[in-house]
Amino acid sequence: MVNDRGQLYTMEGVAAGIIMLLTAYIVISTTSIYTPGDTHIPDMQLEQLGSDVLAMMDTPDTYGTESALKRFVNTNDGTGFNSMFLGYCNMMTNGADDLHMSASVTYRDGDAIIEHQLVAPDGSWTGRESAVRVTRWVQLDRQPGRDPYGARAQAVLVEVLLWRA
Amino acid sequence: MACMNEDGQWIVLMGLLVAVGLFFLALIINQSALVGQTTAEGVLEFPKNDIRDLRTAVFDYVDNYGALQTHGDLEGVKDDITMISLERKNAVVHFGNGTPQDVSGRQLSPVTIHYNNGVTEYDETVYY
Repeated sequence: MVNDRGQLYTMEGVAAGIIMLLTAYIVISTTSIYTPGDTHIPDMQLEQLGSDVLAMMDTPDTYGTESALKRFVNTNDGTGFNSMFLGYCNMMTNGADDLHMSASVTYRDGDAIIEHQLVAPDGSWTGRESAVRVTRWVQLDRQPGRDPYGARAQAVLVEVLLWRA
Repeated sequence: MACMNEDGQWIVLMGLLVAVGLFFLALIINQSALVGQTTAEGVLEFPKNDIRDLRTAVFDYVDNYGALQTHGDLEGVKDDITMISLERKNAVVHFGNGTPQDVSGRQLSPVTIHYNNGVTEYDETVYY
């Protein structure tokens, strides 16, 4: 027969069940580990740094002169590009950062889009780095005998892969 | 509860409150690692630098318009920017400049810029 005894025990049991479920949920959810690499914050900072460095290189020293970036592309000077880029982005108030880069220039020849390697990746490149890509347009004036982009006036895209080793 | 010794209930209750409070503090510490994640992903996804760079390239093109026209390089440079954008940045780009108009006493030509990379679409008409 049903009687009305034991109501408090039932309520206590239900409350204990809810507390146990809540505890299990909180314990499981607090032990999941989120590493900083998953948050993309360093990628964002690296990309902004690279864009700023390219903007600095694309700014001429005085009005009307050629910017360093344009000169490096025009003369196909990968060594100069590499040292200036890394000099700018590794600069810190104390010591130096450990950033590495490779760069290529994409240009158009007829209907073909050709990628020309300006700076080859150094020994730290394994292919598994979380590298970011920064780009900048460079407009080249008409100049005969330019290698490999050709003599016509054209717009080329400088692409830099940047990673921290 | 019934027929139990009811001494010391406050101590047990406070112990329970402290334990639950510690769990919530751990939850807050755990979530604090995620601060900035959505912001960083938003910044990475939005092509701010691409659009700025495209604007500079278009303005360079307009600056050099006369020189490019003399040597017949106008269409070439325009094709460079649109085709390389599509190939390397997955972005549909279109731009053009109209005839110069009188804007507050200066002759400026309207420059239209269109950019769409599938996520972000950008259209602008600027008098330059």
